[in-house]
Amino acid sequence: MNISILRRIGVLFLIAGIFFSWSCSKAGDSNVIKIGVIGPMQYSQGKGHWNGAELAMEEINSSGGIKVGNEMKKIELIKADSNEIASITDAANAMERLITQEKVNFVIGGFRTEAVLAMQDIAMDAKTIFISVGPASAELNKRVKEDYDRYEYFFRGSPLNSSYLVKNSFIHLGYIAAVLKKTLNLPAIKVAVVAEKVQWVEPVIAAAKSTIPAMGMELAGIWQPSQTASDVTAELSAIQRSGAHIIFTVFSSSVGVTFVRQAGELKIPALMTGINVEAARFDFWETTEGKCEYVITSANYLENITINETSKKFIDAYRKKYGEMPSYTAFTHSAISNLLRTAIEKAGTLDADALIPILENLKVETSSGTYKVDENHDSIWGPGYSIIMAGQWQDGSFKGIWPNNWKASDNAPAISYEGVAPVKFPPWMIEAYQ
Amino acid sequence: MVVDIIISTLINGSIYSILAIGFSLVFGVARIINIAHTAFYMLAAFCIYAGTNSFGLHPVLAMGAAIIFVTILGLASYKLIIEKIRVHPAATIIATIALAMIFQEIMILNFGAEFLSVPVLVEGFTVVFGVKITYQQVFTFIFMVILLISVWFLLMKTKLGLAIRATAQDRETANLMGMNESMIALVTIGISVGFAGFAGAIVIPLTVIHPHMWLSPLIIMMAVVVLGGLGSIKGSIIGAFIMGLTEAIIVFLLPMGSFLKGSVALTILIIVLIIKPEGLFGVSIEGE
Amino acid sequence: MSILVYLRRLFVTIKEEIIILPTKVITILFILFLLVLPVILPDSYLMRVLILAAIFAMLTASWDFLSGFAGQLNFGHALFFGVGAYSSALFNLLLKIPPAGSIPLSGLVAVLAGLIIGFPCLRLKGIYLALTTIAFPIILTGVVNALPGITGGELGLSGLDKLTGSRIGDYYIVTLLMLGSCTVMYKLTQSNVGIIFHAIREDEVSLKVSGINTTKYKLLAFCLSGLFAGIAGGVYAHFMRIAGPSTLSVSTSFTIIIYAVFGGVCTIYGSVAAVYILFPLMEVFQLLPQFRTLFFAAIVLIILLYMPSGFIQWIIDKIEKTCSRCGHKNHALRKICRFCERPFKYY
Repeated sequence: MNISILRRIGVLFLIAGIFFSWSCSKAGDSNVIKIGVIGPMQYSQGKGHWNGAELAMEEINSSGGIKVGNEMKKIELIKADSNEIASITDAANAMERLITQEKVNFVIGGFRTEAVLAMQDIAMDAKTIFISVGPASAELNKRVKEDYDRYEYFFRGSPLNSSYLVKNSFIHLGYIAAVLKKTLNLPAIKVAVVAEKVQWVEPVIAAAKSTIPAMGMELAGIWQPSQTASDVTAELSAIQRSGAHIIFTVFSSSVGVTFVRQAGELKIPALMTGINVEAARFDFWETTEGKCEYVITSANYLENITINETSKKFIDAYRKKYGEMPSYTAFTHSAISNLLRTAIEKAGTLDADALIPILENLKVETSSGTYKVDENHDSIWGPGYSIIMAGQWQDGSFKGIWPNNWKASDNAPAISYEGVAPVKFPPWMIEAYQ
Repeated sequence: MVVDIIISTLINGSIYSILAIGFSLVFGVARIINIAHTAFYMLAAFCIYAGTNSFGLHPVLAMGAAIIFVTILGLASYKLIIEKIRVHPAATIIATIALAMIFQEIMILNFGAEFLSVPVLVEGFTVVFGVKITYQQVFTFIFMVILLISVWFLLMKTKLGLAIRATAQDRETANLMGMNESMIALVTIGISVGFAGFAGAIVIPLTVIHPHMWLSPLIIMMAVVVLGGLGSIKGSIIGAFIMGLTEAIIVFLLPMGSFLKGSVALTILIIVLIIKPEGLFGVSIEGE
Repeated sequence: MSILVYLRRLFVTIKEEIIILPTKVITILFILFLLVLPVILPDSYLMRVLILAAIFAMLTASWDFLSGFAGQLNFGHALFFGVGAYSSALFNLLLKIPPAGSIPLSGLVAVLAGLIIGFPCLRLKGIYLALTTIAFPIILTGVVNALPGITGGELGLSGLDKLTGSRIGDYYIVTLLMLGSCTVMYKLTQSNVGIIFHAIREDEVSLKVSGINTTKYKLLAFCLSGLFAGIAGGVYAHFMRIAGPSTLSVSTSFTIIIYAVFGGVCTIYGSVAAVYILFPLMEVFQLLPQFRTLFFAAIVLIILLYMPSGFIQWIIDKIEKTCSRCGHKNHALRKICRFCERPFKYY
């Protein structure tokens, strides 16, 4: 009896060992371009990463592949679940596996900055090109600036870095304040700032303190709930007490949903604008039971706005295949079919060192505007490049409301994207101020 | 400001106390630390979501179904798992952690790790002393008062309540006096999990549902229970309102620091424990 | 001449003391395997997995030392890990101390943390202690978020110096550190201190009556456990090159406990073996990522229900027998005890 147990245990270990070594050693195939897609695959962000990349792969492979020198190479995608929301260790291991076991040529994806910082180091050690699609922190590109020789393999894909996001959302704020002032005949606009407590928000708070008075508005107060707060009614009644007309939000996690939901339930007479990552999702109407009506947030993809042909084609193809609007992490599609494809075809090689100068000088249309990087490999914001639109939830659909006759400076040409809608105000707000 | 703080305290305190009473009751009677307590709260929320979205039930019906389902699941997990190891407190804690993780993973597999929501029972809000409160919050508070009264009635006026109190005081003697200790434990588990499900059912329309939503109330709930004293229902209620008050004061007096409310609440807990190691109203469990 | 004597003595020891017992053979083989693996299979991914396994083994063993032996149930062990990670990151980034200095220093800071939480916890017992210790890492996370200028907030502190610069170097450093610290902990638990720890866990009052200063020993357990967990945290920070709030998370604390339960509480070697089995197994499960955590949790439940003393202890009980007369260990196939020749079949 004891011998059999010993044997069984032995066999068990043997099987585990074989399984492990099998999963460790997979032969590389040089006839394809291997692209690792890394992200939290059980979450919507990871699904966006994967769907975008999958769409790009299907489009490219059905047209024969990417031309590398004289041969056409097809794309093979390797999915890596980084589990980064729960564990940084797992994320780093997933990156290592992509690079050393799967021997991918490129990696795209990433979401949580703490994890991407760890993944970045691994990709740089292996001198593999890593295009981030997900984290907004500027920290990632600061490293390129500080140690170019090591971090030159890193590029920011999407979204724009957080300082641009903030700058852009202050422009949204200015636009909305102007419309609000005109529509409701208000003498002065009061703005309440509500930001979740995370590190990238710190500069936003600092900027809000100086920018909002400089824009001719009054700062009614600053509130910082935690990222996972499940009750913000206390904050909301304090905000209402402060008499704010506009609530400038900076949310990237679940508190964004809770805040909108409870504000809608309490009919707080103020308009929300700013950054609320969850609110830019196509299913936010259902998530908030319709309480998100009139909420404004920064957005990358909008149904009613056409940025350019690439974007229109991408959104149409994505909606046809997956039946929903793409999330911002679906920029993996552009990272493959616009950035990497153009660069590889130009270079005629998959060699990272040959591709870097090309990527650095690349100026290409992508699904979120014209993409170009600065000397830190950070994507450039501004008129003529990528800008961030603002969308408002109106009657169940997320409509683009900005840029609408936007002038970057006094003599710059006014920019309006095709299909932009006017801003609407909640009736209880009109009632409260008339 | 003062009115704001009072109302916020009452509402949050009532939610915490519903959770804490259940947790404390099980500890008092059966000496089980049920980490999965708030996981049942999360399960109830998902049940309501599935009930209203997939089966098209009326929210009230879905609530009822959710509470019953969660209670049955709680009893089953007690019978199948916890009962076998409840003599070892550490093993019980670990088993309930594992149980909570299993529930969380099954919910992720079924519903994905997305943010979901369910409709409120009654839309809208009312104004009390110049402070806006949603009807759902008013409901929460009323339900909590009803629940408290019924718990008090159950414990003080019924035979079962007498048995529960006796078991909580001295398990061995209660057993010797002919009370079916394991039956009482089972009933208590049922009541406790039912409370967790109930709390989930009335709180969830105001917030978002996601599979990790059990962690943050768990921490606050445990802080409440330890602060009030393990096993003491009076302590749990008072602890819950102390925590609610602390949080409200921080939000209103220190708006920039409202993210700190969890940390400050836990710091108060530790200070109280250093001064009074068994909590405010705790029963001493030494010598068991 | 004397070398021959030593060799002969070594040979006799191996023959009489090691070959005869399967657990000793397995331990020796395991250590040899760890030491020669990079030479026969220099795969950087495999080494990465084993390096992290070594770090978590050290961490889990330190939890077992405090909570298993001394009975001070700590459900917030991530505190020491996080304190170690953050302090070595700060030493490295602000004071430019290389890893060789910052890691031991981070161990000392974690000892300090052990003292700070040890003092209030001296008055708490059992479940109160368990529930209170959960709070400490959460409070520290709040502090980390409140001081983003120093701690980097949710991004953590990144850009630390590499441990050694090469994967093989990292591997040997971490593995040897793990073997060394676990041996120290194991030897301590087998010494008189270990007996006192057992006694504190089982009956503290009797121990006090016997005139032993239990406070001193409890603080000792907190400090030593903190030391090794802090070193593990420091090594982790330098290996991952980032120290972030995830090191302090509740799930880190829970994972450690689950490893320890899998291996068998109150053993030290069980913790090490458990991590070396479960951590690579979790990586294999990357193929089915959605079932990983579920599988992990289900394993723990099964272990608790059917192998209450842990999987490793369960295996040891299957491959070794203890003689009921003289208390010596024998391998499971023996019919009679190798010392007193008492037959096994009678009991």
